[in-house]
Amino acid sequence: MRHPPKTFLVLATAISAGLCLRAVGAASAATLWPQKTSAIDDLLPVDQAFALVSAERKGEVIEVSWSIAPGYYLYRNRLGFAAEPVTAAHAFGPAKLPAATSIHDERGDSEIYRGNLVAVLPLRDAAGSLKRLRVRYQGCADAGVCYPPQDKLIDIASGTARNSNP
Amino acid sequence: MRPILPVVVVCALAIGGGLFAYRHFAPQGGDGAGKPLPTGIQMSDLDGHPHTLDEYRGKLLLINFWATWCGPCLHEIPQLAKLQTEFGARGLQIIGPAVDDPDAVRGMLATLAINYPVLVTKAPEEMIKTMDQLGNSVGGLPFSVLVGADGKIIKRQIGEFSAAELKELVESQLPK
Repeated sequence: MRHPPKTFLVLATAISAGLCLRAVGAASAATLWPQKTSAIDDLLPVDQAFALVSAERKGEVIEVSWSIAPGYYLYRNRLGFAAEPVTAAHAFGPAKLPAATSIHDERGDSEIYRGNLVAVLPLRDAAGSLKRLRVRYQGCADAGVCYPPQDKLIDIASGTARNSNP
Repeated sequence: MRPILPVVVVCALAIGGGLFAYRHFAPQGGDGAGKPLPTGIQMSDLDGHPHTLDEYRGKLLLINFWATWCGPCLHEIPQLAKLQTEFGARGLQIIGPAVDDPDAVRGMLATLAINYPVLVTKAPEEMIKTMDQLGNSVGGLPFSVLVGADGKIIKRQIGEFSAAELKELVESQLPK
């Protein structure tokens, strides 16, 4: 039976030692000196926290849906809808929104949504040229962190969202 | 007697390999401690004068990103103002870059009694990119980065500090 070259064994041992040092470092940081977990590692990316699911045309309305992750919420007064192209600006009337939960924070009294949210946009006669919606929304996490306002273009037919933030 | 050179070479390679493995796979702290603050980050004050974060080198710098639409940020600002008053003479400098439209910031500033520089960019998206550069890829606010007088990051955190925690942290980094 052939033995591996001695050089290889020494190198492998040294690299293993390096990896062991890393493991020991990680384990000691996690257990021996517990620290407050950094929220940087715990927060969901904004598109997972507030997933804009679809904009579907259903008869005389367009339904815009979000799936809001547990522990996160959207502000009712930060929801906005605009037609794309802008020539279809009068394609729909004011959004009909479900009842929201009232909260009070540093911004004063607000209304928020959790879980699944569906906004209903009643279509008008000019809706024929309406291809996409520009949807704006903003929310926070219960952990005490807020996300910047989002501005998305969403195709009405396919329901595929595209980020229009630069 | 066996030649010593091959043994020395093998040992040197072994040590080098071990160090490479350790450094390459070493865990990075979520608080970014020890990393240098990137240079050349530019912002403006509310009068439009340009500033870079390099200007504050030599002080204990607390960069607190905030926005008018962020409730936790507005809650945290009074304790930051208090810290600036208490520790400014000992070398603490707080700055408040706003992830916001400059006009919205101007409109709210009078009600906040901020006693440290508030900085803005032409568009909030530029500030979001700066936060990303500093390790905040999700864009969450408030976002604070504590930087030592040597320009190295001591701690970064998304979310509010508790008043006691922040005071203890700042005091521990200032000269007695």
